[in-house]
Amino acid sequence: MSAAVQPATAAPERRSSRVLVIVLALVVGVAVVVVALRGSFRDGPLEPGAPTAQGSKAVVRVLEDDGTDVEVRRYTADAADALADGGTVLVTDPSTLDTEQMERLSEARTSGGGQLVLVRPDADALKGLAPGVSPAGKVTTATSLQAGEDCGAAGLQGRAIRVGPAEDVSDSAALYRAGPPADSCYREGGDAAVVVSDGVVVLGSATLLTNDGVGQLDNAGVALTALGADEALTWYVPSPTDPLADQQPSLLDRLPDFALPLALWACLVAIAVLLALSRRLGPVVLEPLPVSVRARELTVGRAHLLHRADGHQAAARSLRAATSLRLASRLGVRREDRLDTLVAALLPHTSLTASQLHELLGPTPVRSDQELLRLTEALDALEKEIDR
Amino acid sequence: MRIALTLRGALLGVLAVLPIVLAPHWITLVVCAVLWCAALLTDLSITPSPRRLDVRRTSPGQVRLGEDASGRLLVTNTAERPVVLRLRDCWNPTAGLAEQRAGLRLPPHERRAVEQSFHPVRRGRHRSRILVLAIRGRLGLLERRAHRVVPGELLALHAFGSRRHLPSRTRRLREIEGLAAVHQRGQGTEFDSLRDFVDGDDVRSIDWRATARRRSVVVRTWRPERDRHVLIVVDTSRTSAGRVGDAPRLDAALDATLLLMALASQAGDRVDVLCADRIPHLSVAAGNPRTVLHDVVAATAPVEPALVETDWEMMAAQIARRARRGALVVLLTPIEPGAVQQGLLPVAARVAAEHPLVIGSVADPDLESMAAERGSIGAVYRAASAAQDGLERDGVSRALERSGAHVVDVVPDDLPQAVADQYLALKAAGRL
Repeated sequence: MSAAVQPATAAPERRSSRVLVIVLALVVGVAVVVVALRGSFRDGPLEPGAPTAQGSKAVVRVLEDDGTDVEVRRYTADAADALADGGTVLVTDPSTLDTEQMERLSEARTSGGGQLVLVRPDADALKGLAPGVSPAGKVTTATSLQAGEDCGAAGLQGRAIRVGPAEDVSDSAALYRAGPPADSCYREGGDAAVVVSDGVVVLGSATLLTNDGVGQLDNAGVALTALGADEALTWYVPSPTDPLADQQPSLLDRLPDFALPLALWACLVAIAVLLALSRRLGPVVLEPLPVSVRARELTVGRAHLLHRADGHQAAARSLRAATSLRLASRLGVRREDRLDTLVAALLPHTSLTASQLHELLGPTPVRSDQELLRLTEALDALEKEIDR
Repeated sequence: MRIALTLRGALLGVLAVLPIVLAPHWITLVVCAVLWCAALLTDLSITPSPRRLDVRRTSPGQVRLGEDASGRLLVTNTAERPVVLRLRDCWNPTAGLAEQRAGLRLPPHERRAVEQSFHPVRRGRHRSRILVLAIRGRLGLLERRAHRVVPGELLALHAFGSRRHLPSRTRRLREIEGLAAVHQRGQGTEFDSLRDFVDGDDVRSIDWRATARRRSVVVRTWRPERDRHVLIVVDTSRTSAGRVGDAPRLDAALDATLLLMALASQAGDRVDVLCADRIPHLSVAAGNPRTVLHDVVAATAPVEPALVETDWEMMAAQIARRARRGALVVLLTPIEPGAVQQGLLPVAARVAAEHPLVIGSVADPDLESMAAERGSIGAVYRAASAAQDGLERDGVSRALERSGAHVVDVVPDDLPQAVADQYLALKAAGRL
């Protein structure tokens, strides 16, 4: 229907819109293919499914191939249940846990005797989850650490590990200090990067687990030993949507008692003020006005039509006829007379020859806008010549 | 009755903030709300109703477009209490009421006037739609309002700008009437008087019978016949809606009607006016020559163009019914080539066969300037289009003239004079 109604000039627009549709379809197709090739995974620091530099897919795949069942948990309650059942729980980011969450985990570990693996805990997390261990320093550049002789269980069957900043996870590795019952290993000065204390394994560097860092030196061996002790591993990634984490008093609780009634009253007063301001004094007066269109619009419209349709010939005919009529009335030639009569009357007054006058005033074809412009100039010149 | 909250009444609620802060409880809220409502109700009960106001109007009547008119509202307070009043007189905007709103303070049993000044910007009938009275509460917390219909009307008459040409045309008319050259009797002349022969008089006009009764030679004089009939037909169809310059063509046509009307009543002719397109809209028959001009001015004031084609057959029937034999018919219609060929040509030929016919048309001065446009290809096409228009109009007016009509196709400012001159020329030639 629209194709039948639209004029011919709409065709280029339709073509360009078709090109636009094709381009859009291509973009959408490429996006779909890219997503399909990438596969769907959740990206983030030490995410078990992420193949990116900060993810931990490599470690998880190897653990699963070795027969360890890796379960991903996001809530403290689930992780505490696993600990209470005596399993191994990895906490990827202990520093985001609040006191209550840490208490819950600690209680679960004491009751169930499970193993807790902490990645780069800060002082608060250590206080809550591994009371015997304290933070001692940082390693801000990639450093290789050797296992000493007094490693004990903390050696985790490795000889040397590489610690340091892990891209997108942390900008440094942490070092810890622990008292006698705990085992410390991979020392830098007097402080250790790995501490094993009463069922809690503290790993000082995220590079032991990230896809990027796990391949260096014995990092992989240390990680697999720390995590693959049991048949099952719970990979606990703390989440901000954890129902346990949301226990702080909100901003609303700190407002004074009168805030809510006052707000309600303010709404009421605001409505009243709006009502008072919005009332008009009497109705809007409608007035039907008479139509009025500029009379020249019709003529201008016809000029546009002529222009668009390239009506050189029609335009030239009108201009010639108007000029001929004016000249004829000036020279006293009757308008019914033929062109020859007019040319004959014009000849004595102009410098043009009879054939030139015939070409100018007669139906000579006009093929372009330029020719039309030249014709108007010639007609004007002729009229001026006769007027003189 | 309508009640409106004032800003003061709304802001009264702010006072309740203090008790709410001091005793934040739901009961405080409820008590404050009740007190607020009570204050408003008190104000309502001690404020007189707008029904106690008596309003009378002096209408502005009639005014020529471009001039000022004045009206007045008289408001009487019949209540026992003084009244602070805001009122709005809702005229339509083109009536040009300077101040629709007014504030008044009315002591009990007293009357005050509101002066109103109008400067209408559109011809036609203007009305006051409604009068809104708003009495401010005694405490200023609310307003009691009422809508009152107090009929008021203002008739904005045609400006009749061409009346400045009337004196010169009247002088010319007197010359024609007293012209010594009209000595021969003929069609359109009537016997005037007998007077003594002076040198130069046509010997054929000597009245021999009267001469025989006296010693000197006596000639008869003749003058143009008086009490002829002129029918002015104004076309109000879509072609008359076209705006030329600042005003629609119809305005120029009405201007010409009024000038011809004034001139013809001076000449002692009877003039009828008919405005029509598909149907006859308005017809003013000649009555008292003193009041006919005013009647026509008042009657044509509300005439507006309609977006319809003219029914020329109906027009011909109306002309045949209204025009006496030999009456002058003046048809004021734009000769648009498209519209004319739809039926004016044969009708004009028929009318011209029975009556002297003058066709007055408003030409567009823009066409002239457009036909002279040069410089770009767009301008040349416009010039060509304007030239084509001119040719077609020319052709149509020649066709009309061939059928016996006198065609006057001039720019709007010249139309009234041109039509009047055509009338005078016909009169001088004894064709009337």
